[in-house]
Amino acid sequence: MAAQPKELALEHANYLTSERGIYSWLTTVDHKRVAVLYGIASLFFMLIGGIEAMLIRTQLAVPDNTVLSAQVYNQMFTMHGTTMIFMVVMPLEMGFFANFLIPLQVGARDVAFPRINALSFWVFLFGALFMNVGWFTLSLPDAGWFGYANLTERYYTPGINIDLWNIGLLILGVSTLLSGLNFFVTIVNMRARGMTFMRMPMFMWAMLVTTILILLAFPCLTVGLIFLFLDRFVGTHFYRVAIGATPILWQHLFWLFGHPEVYIMALPAFGMMSEIIPVFARKPLFGYAGMAYSIVLIGFLSYGVWGHHMFATGMGPVADSTFAITTMLIALPTGVKIFSWIATIWGGSLRMKTAFLFAVGAVLEFTIGGLSGVMHATVPVDLQQTDTYIVVAHFHYVLFGGMMFAILGSFFYWWPKITGRMMSETMGKWQFWLTIIAFNGTFFPMHFLGVWGMPRRIYTYAPGMGWSFWNMFETLSAYLLFLTFVLFGINLIWSLFYGEKAEADPWDGRTLEWAIPSPPPPYNFETLPLVRGRDAFWVDKYGVMVEEGHGHGSAPAYGETSGAAPAAEHAPSEHGPIHMPAPSLYPLLFGLSLTLGGIGALMDWYRIDILAALFLFLSIIGMAFEYADHGEEHVHADPPTYRGIDHRKAGMWAFLGSECVFFACLISTYLVYKPRNVGVGAEVLNIPLTSFSTFILLMSSFLMVLALAATQRGDRKWSTIWLFGTAFFGLIFLGGQVYEFSTLFLDEHLSMQGSLFGQTFYTLVGTHGCHVAIGVIWLFVMAVASLGGRVGKSRALSVEIAGLYWHFVDVVWILIFTLIYLMRTVKGA
Amino acid sequence: MSENVAVAGHAPGAMEHGGHPGPGVYAIIAVILVILTLMELTVYYVPALQPVLVPILILLAIAKFILVAGFYMHLHYDQKIFSIFFVFPLVLACFIGAALMMIFSALGTHLAL
Repeated sequence: MAAQPKELALEHANYLTSERGIYSWLTTVDHKRVAVLYGIASLFFMLIGGIEAMLIRTQLAVPDNTVLSAQVYNQMFTMHGTTMIFMVVMPLEMGFFANFLIPLQVGARDVAFPRINALSFWVFLFGALFMNVGWFTLSLPDAGWFGYANLTERYYTPGINIDLWNIGLLILGVSTLLSGLNFFVTIVNMRARGMTFMRMPMFMWAMLVTTILILLAFPCLTVGLIFLFLDRFVGTHFYRVAIGATPILWQHLFWLFGHPEVYIMALPAFGMMSEIIPVFARKPLFGYAGMAYSIVLIGFLSYGVWGHHMFATGMGPVADSTFAITTMLIALPTGVKIFSWIATIWGGSLRMKTAFLFAVGAVLEFTIGGLSGVMHATVPVDLQQTDTYIVVAHFHYVLFGGMMFAILGSFFYWWPKITGRMMSETMGKWQFWLTIIAFNGTFFPMHFLGVWGMPRRIYTYAPGMGWSFWNMFETLSAYLLFLTFVLFGINLIWSLFYGEKAEADPWDGRTLEWAIPSPPPPYNFETLPLVRGRDAFWVDKYGVMVEEGHGHGSAPAYGETSGAAPAAEHAPSEHGPIHMPAPSLYPLLFGLSLTLGGIGALMDWYRIDILAALFLFLSIIGMAFEYADHGEEHVHADPPTYRGIDHRKAGMWAFLGSECVFFACLISTYLVYKPRNVGVGAEVLNIPLTSFSTFILLMSSFLMVLALAATQRGDRKWSTIWLFGTAFFGLIFLGGQVYEFSTLFLDEHLSMQGSLFGQTFYTLVGTHGCHVAIGVIWLFVMAVASLGGRVGKSRALSVEIAGLYWHFVDVVWILIFTLIYLMRTVKGA
Repeated sequence: MSENVAVAGHAPGAMEHGGHPGPGVYAIIAVILVILTLMELTVYYVPALQPVLVPILILLAIAKFILVAGFYMHLHYDQKIFSIFFVFPLVLACFIGAALMMIFSALGTHLAL
């Protein structure tokens, strides 16, 4: 049954009270409710990660300690890193704050794809729970959050520990990628009228670049994890030297993701700090343009620095020098940001609220971490410091000192907007000062311990090394740090019951979220705002515009006020009910199915995998046709964007961009391993057969555009014929591939396990084949829908989007055909 | 507030399906793609062209890639923002590929792996 879009009467209460009951939370697609779900889950995992940290510190408190065995210690530090990064910092920044704030700050009623937003959450939750199953079986992942090969190979780690980590991260990656895509399209395409890029709040700049990093960095991790999965479950040897492979490949793929990942966590924190500091300094953000460009430059440079994690692997002087220079370069835009924050504070009329204190604390502590980062960029110094506690000190100053401080400040700043209640300032200030003391007490001595030679990842140490005092000191400080979080938790819960009721604009804010009530109504804005300047709400309140090149006090460009009227002054609505997307159970079903598939793979229960695939298919089909009687979901969620582009089309292009990096990693691996291959190689490839397949695929693209042209002119008959034709040609291509693989396997004895060529060839070409298969299913469904009259002229865009995917599969094959088949005799590609 | 207020820095909305070519252009592109593929096979099978096999094949592949992306995926006709969405990651993908190959070739030389 097709779901009905909700019609919300304007007198409805806020988003927390407009609907009640557990079912409303299970099926919600409201970005604010999804954000709350993320927040609750992330805080739960923060508790888990904190307990892991306490266990680590307890074990290291004294020499020769036996609280934890070496095995359990390995599990604790692995899960502490993995939990804090993937289940706490990222979901708090992205899932909680960004999810809640992006539509509010850009002046929209929801994100671009509300159901995918809910889907991201459920996938995240089940993926995170999946990874934590090891608590019950005493088999938590134990190879570090970086999972260095070949320690992760089944030969060295035979249990399910690494499988939980491997499959869990693949599932979490799906969630993150979908969130990144969703937020990217929202920021690019759903900004309120008048909100040019240079009028966006700085948090939106940070999130825009963050989403780009997610889209273009996560595919590298995905490829690395797929190789690991194949090694562990299929018996390939992507990371084993036994047949000429190298574990270093994992490090490259991991850090190609891993360093942008640092900025995926850092940039949102920078954005949060850039929102909080000006409000409490009562000054506009200093150097807005410089700050925005710095964020872009940091994002750009973050792709060129991954090698600084690998100086000790022997990349050679040219690579080492290159990565050292790019790493030092990234300090420049970061320095611009730090000085801009200081300049914003300088001369301001400061209000020393807890949010501000944490933001300033973040500037201070992050600067310390950044400076030691520059130190590590010096190759000879880094070679001495690698794998010592000075590195642990560095990244905790960055991740905790920078990111967690910013997150804590953001809780105090935006909590009133989210819950309608103020947090206690008294408890907040106690928490802040105790955190400053405990944090520095825990992590600053690690600099000394590192220089004195204490290696990281050791579960104990001998007495008489000179490390005992500072380890005990760190442990006691860590206990205090844990207590500050207990105080934080008490404050959160206390505020919900006893906190002062929050006004719409308790901090005299500058951005659009403060223009609406606290907590916001389900539809966010009664009337979508018209933005006439940077700091849109400030302009509205005070009639002062802060614009690049205008300075303070310039007159608003387009009138006296922006469209974002203060909440108290909302005029009675002159329009009818606001349409919002209907709740949906399919996102939950999708998340469950994906995790079920993971369990099936883990336990080698193929029937479970088949069931999971069936449920996945059903949930996707369900979502595709859920709004069949009422047009596309976004039509009801938002008015047409002034950019005039469809969310789905923008989303598909962003996805294809992400796919470029995914296939680049696969193709690069093939080319890197090609000259190392021993035994059966590319000479066995069947050029005539694949030439025929290439013609077929090219012609299928031709049929696809004919289908689109027929749909656009309303010719249902030919639209259906061409769609079926395209799918049929796709089937022929797949049939050719099945024949090719069978021949290679049976006649040439080319297996995935026997040679580097076999494993890289089957993986690359097979992955492409999977894409073709998905496209064929998509086209058949669309052709059947067209046959039933459900793909008319008004739905031509749906055909175009399917076509974009299909043509992309085609262009990837063009490259594969050239690089793998026609260049098969070229050595050392 | 008026929805018709002109907003600086924003292009007016483009027609979603406007400007796409018709079946005639699509057919011409299909023919060119077939010819280019035949050229690829010719280059592959002619021994005299083996010394220049790699650059020619790469150029032909790029030409086919551009034709499909430009005309079948409509990048040539659609808003430029879609080209940005696609070309930037493509350049990054090429950078990643080139960097990995250079690093691994150096690694192989230095460590005889």
